[in-house]
Amino acid sequence: MHTRFQILIGCWLLAVGCWLTSCRGDEIIYPTLGDPITDEVRQGGLYVLCEGNMGSNKARLDYINLESGTYYSNWYGAQNPRQLKELGDVGNDIQQYGNRLYAVINCSHKVEVMDLQARHIGQIEIPNCRYLAFHDDKLYVSAYVGSIADPELLGSVFEVDTASLAITREVKVGHQPDELCIVDDRLYVCNSGGYLTNRYDSTLSVIDLHTFTEKEKIVVGLNPTRVCVDAQKHLWVCCQGNYAKRKPSVVVVGLQRIETGCANIAIQGMTAYILDNENNRLRAFSTIDFTEQEQPVDISAFEHPYALLATQDALYVSDAKNYVSSGVLHCFAYDGHERWRAKTGDIPGHLCRVTQAYELYGDTTTMPTGLSPFIHRVYEFVPAPGQFVNELPKYEEGDNAETMCRKCEVALCNNATGTISLGGWGGYVTFGFDHSVENGEGYDLRILGNAFAMSGNAAYGSSEPGIVLVSKDENGNGLPDDTWYELKGSLYDDPQTKHQVTKTYTREGDTIHNSFHQHPYYPQWIEADELTFSGSVLPSQTEVVNGQTVQRILDFGYVDNKPNKDIEGTSFDLSWAVDEQGKAVELTSIDFVRVYTAVDENNGPTGEISTEISGAIDLHINN
Amino acid sequence: MTKKLFFILVSALCASSVFALDEAELDSLVTRFQIEEVEVTARSLTKDVIVPQTLKGAELQRLNALSVADALRYFSGVQLKDYGGVGGIKTINVRSMGSQHTAVYYNGVQLGNAQNGQVDLGRFSLDNMDEIQLYNGQKSDIFQSAREFGAAGNVYLTTRKPYFKRNERAHVRAQMRFGSFALANPNVGVDVKLTEALSLTLDAEYVYSNGKYPFRYRRVLPNGETAYDTTAVRQNGDVNAVRTELGLHHYYRTTGFWRVHAYNYWSERGVPGAIVNNVWRNGERLWDRNSFVQATWQDEWFNRWSTRLLAKYANDYTHYRNYDERLLPSDNEYLQQEAYVSLANKVRLFNWWDLSLAYDYQYNALNRENLLINEGKEFFDRHSYWLSAATAFNVKEYLRLQASVLMTAVTQRPTSASEHSDKSQRPKVTPGLFASFKPYPKIDLSLNAFYKQSYRYPTFNDLYYTDLGNANLRPELARQHSVELAYKISNVQSPLSNDFGYEIAASASYYYNRVTDKIIAYPKGQQFRWTMLNLGTVKINGVDAKADMSFYLPLRFVLRTRLNYTYQTAVDVTNPNDTYYGHQIPYIPWHSGSVVVNLDWESRRGDHYGLNYSFIYVGERYCQQENTVYNYVQPWYTHDLSLYGEWGIRRWWLKAYIEINNLLGQDYEVIQNYPMPKQNIRCTLAFRY
Repeated sequence: MHTRFQILIGCWLLAVGCWLTSCRGDEIIYPTLGDPITDEVRQGGLYVLCEGNMGSNKARLDYINLESGTYYSNWYGAQNPRQLKELGDVGNDIQQYGNRLYAVINCSHKVEVMDLQARHIGQIEIPNCRYLAFHDDKLYVSAYVGSIADPELLGSVFEVDTASLAITREVKVGHQPDELCIVDDRLYVCNSGGYLTNRYDSTLSVIDLHTFTEKEKIVVGLNPTRVCVDAQKHLWVCCQGNYAKRKPSVVVVGLQRIETGCANIAIQGMTAYILDNENNRLRAFSTIDFTEQEQPVDISAFEHPYALLATQDALYVSDAKNYVSSGVLHCFAYDGHERWRAKTGDIPGHLCRVTQAYELYGDTTTMPTGLSPFIHRVYEFVPAPGQFVNELPKYEEGDNAETMCRKCEVALCNNATGTISLGGWGGYVTFGFDHSVENGEGYDLRILGNAFAMSGNAAYGSSEPGIVLVSKDENGNGLPDDTWYELKGSLYDDPQTKHQVTKTYTREGDTIHNSFHQHPYYPQWIEADELTFSGSVLPSQTEVVNGQTVQRILDFGYVDNKPNKDIEGTSFDLSWAVDEQGKAVELTSIDFVRVYTAVDENNGPTGEISTEISGAIDLHINN
Repeated sequence: MTKKLFFILVSALCASSVFALDEAELDSLVTRFQIEEVEVTARSLTKDVIVPQTLKGAELQRLNALSVADALRYFSGVQLKDYGGVGGIKTINVRSMGSQHTAVYYNGVQLGNAQNGQVDLGRFSLDNMDEIQLYNGQKSDIFQSAREFGAAGNVYLTTRKPYFKRNERAHVRAQMRFGSFALANPNVGVDVKLTEALSLTLDAEYVYSNGKYPFRYRRVLPNGETAYDTTAVRQNGDVNAVRTELGLHHYYRTTGFWRVHAYNYWSERGVPGAIVNNVWRNGERLWDRNSFVQATWQDEWFNRWSTRLLAKYANDYTHYRNYDERLLPSDNEYLQQEAYVSLANKVRLFNWWDLSLAYDYQYNALNRENLLINEGKEFFDRHSYWLSAATAFNVKEYLRLQASVLMTAVTQRPTSASEHSDKSQRPKVTPGLFASFKPYPKIDLSLNAFYKQSYRYPTFNDLYYTDLGNANLRPELARQHSVELAYKISNVQSPLSNDFGYEIAASASYYYNRVTDKIIAYPKGQQFRWTMLNLGTVKINGVDAKADMSFYLPLRFVLRTRLNYTYQTAVDVTNPNDTYYGHQIPYIPWHSGSVVVNLDWESRRGDHYGLNYSFIYVGERYCQQENTVYNYVQPWYTHDLSLYGEWGIRRWWLKAYIEINNLLGQDYEVIQNYPMPKQNIRCTLAFRY
């Protein structure tokens, strides 16, 4: 009895010990490198201020070096690691004035002042600040609340001396003032009343910059949020309406009213660009006669168009997606073609072009890449008929090739430890990582399966080998349509291995079902009634050992051949690559991996030999 | 201190274990209590079809836990959201389905919050709690109200019941707790035996804490150099709360009883808010008053037919005000009312077959008023109806089955906002199927499985929140599949003998849940305008493993350990085009677990001395849908230690506890930007007479 007791005590001590060793790491601030972009003009750089959600402290300033094409996420954090709690909560505006950048961080109640490389210079404390404007070395900031709480809930515009960063004057305006602009010595600010449901404001306050007093209020339209000025000094105002019966519109003050959704507005030359977020389109209007011009770019596939910047050579439009995950920034040429796109932080809202291209200080080669060592994308999933086909992953009515790939991703990406089955001989899956896999020293890649060794005789077990093909994205289109190379396994030169075999399965021939799997074996999402595969066939390794039907485990170079705990046995070296003639090929890196079932054999009750995959790891990424 | 002073203490746990020693002394009232227990649980055919996780009595009192929320951290499959401090909101999420799929019952009647569907478990004190149980799926006993069949996870809170020995007329308890961050927490309780059958309980508690705890943020550069390292003090986290409860218990014949329970909770607290750049304090204040009266009556006829009637009226007032000068001021009042009745019947057709039928009705109303913008009150209400039928039967000795079907109908009609039309929806029917298979009569090994569907109805906030609500929402559907293997073994000698004894209960379960039509906030076309949509599918796979072990050692030492471990994946499978498709949903760790070790020594006189150690681990997780390095949240783990002594001097009992929580002072966050307290201490002194 006491012995059993000691064992139990031992067990829990062990459990406690295990827990104690699972540790927290340091919390590191670092930039990560996004996917590189290629700009055709290759000039200067672009700051992207991602707002982040309220309370998340995730305002993020990213920088794109348009010359080198490097996308730096969290550039501000890298430049200013000693800023307590980084950039702050909810970025709302960014502009360059002179040789400085100014960024409004709304819920951190500050305007962050930086040099053009985004190195911190100082900050101006303005409660609930919203937008910026500049005039004669003075900065003007709209704010939802004034320096003294106002019983009427009116907002203010603050004047700040850009040399001393001191607030010099303040003027009360309307409810929840948003964007502002300056024409001659008058400042115009939108009084949105955005927090007063059913009682939105509809005016611009006009402020005389000499006396810094409100001269008048101009009625423009319900719920004005954005304003900008064209070369004729006309004011273009975005009015959001009441989000119900009163539709949003753009008002050219005193001249024109255009009914349109207007998340954002930008003027370049003689054209005003209006981001119509109701219909996902970018509309263009002449600033001379207000006639509508042809839409310069197609943004109909956007989820939520958000930021807009029109420069002389490009139109930048962001898609904020669902506002709580990464957005995408698109750069278009004025002829409508897309120059590049880049994944950003949460809610890419505000953009600022700078003429210089900067690189980050310090050694960027050691910078974490933010890359995942696990599978990122499944491009193709075409299993040959088999007992686990339509089950791993599960086929459901309405699935197609695309959705089946996504289901494979759920099973394989991000170390998910799910399993997919490639079915009988020839069935394959093609996957990739969020980066190219380098051909480095030793093994480069691990691919996991569900093989296991027989107890007592490790030479045998459940081995359902799959052959690995790799490919480089030679044409740069991001799709696996380039030359494939086989990773030469231990049976490649075996006389019994047949190369360049072709086999066709038909939907009609889908009749051999074993008693455990009564469902269709033919992949149901494939519309064609025939499936043809080609590749090499390895000889059967099935034997009966100690009364068990098992397979002889192969030496090396096959997926789902050795158990996952055998790290070496599940690893692959890109130096094994050979071309169709069997000649060794030197690959520096690869982008796509394909695995197919390499044995053509059916064992009755236990079904056909089918390669199963449960994930892959790039051995050179160590996050 | 004179004998006339009644101040005392006792946790029910302690009391009940004393009684267990000499049952002969129990008077008839206690016997009736036990009969009631037997009536309701032991004789039920479906006992153990669903094995709950339970914390009760002394074990509960000896945990390093102040509130019910703290105690629930020791259950497997549970994720706690904790915004920090005594006053911070604490809600739980069972098996990743979302906190609104978990129902919380206070003495058998569900606690509601029709406004946001969340019950802040940080407000429920452990001091008068006798038992906390968590059932995945539903309660084993089919003799329950209709509504209880409706939730995916159920937490039952049972307060202390009065126990009197022969010749005892009253018990008095008094307790004082002090602790870090100016915690002051006195608690008094009185139990009075009015007649042999009728007893009265009173309980009152006050909690104060200034919530000013230090927290630290430290970040390092990739090369290991410190980027910043700052310590600040949490502001505006103070809480002042008074809880009073009154209970009347009447037991008659051997079969029936009625109970009335009145509850009142009042609090004022600061809402400390998120710590973000340049914001180290917030100015929001919250006043709450939660009051309810509930009554239960139950009887049994012909040994076959049982009836239970429940009724409740609740009135909850909330006042929220923002004093932060940097934000737009706001000042809102909310008044929620709830009326609830339930009639449940159970018939025993044969010794192996039970049937039950229950009908519940509930009315909820919400008044909302913005005191700054004088636009009048907004008013919403809702009628809900539940009808359930359930059956339980045993096939021979080894198979127990339970099946239930619930029909839910909800009608709501916001009367102030004319644009919302009457949104009655078709009644929803949800089944539940439970089975327990015990293959060997002499070995306590069972295989339990269940399948259950449940709906979570949109809350008033989901439906009508200004500009955000969507009156067309459908309820969210959760489908649960679960299998469990449970094993128990014991070899217990007399507690006072010197022989070795042990009790071990271990179980492992696998579950697969799928939540569809998940209600999420989604941006409308316009800038920053959100709406609620039935958009979201989450697939949850998990494994829970737990082991409770007690070892009775020589010299009256008892070693108790409780181990829990959960592994789960909960991935978003809404839309393959989303960047977060296939990613773990926010705040669900892959790994979590806890260890509790208690070493207790009982002297010959019956005094207790002990040491309690607990460890909680919550593994890495992400704070947003997308699993990127910027949304990564570090694991946290805390070590808590407590020492206690309990002394009996004639009819007096004295207990003293010292707890040290977060012993190693880890700086951690459960919710991002809401720092948790570092090392903190609590001392408790309690008397019972």
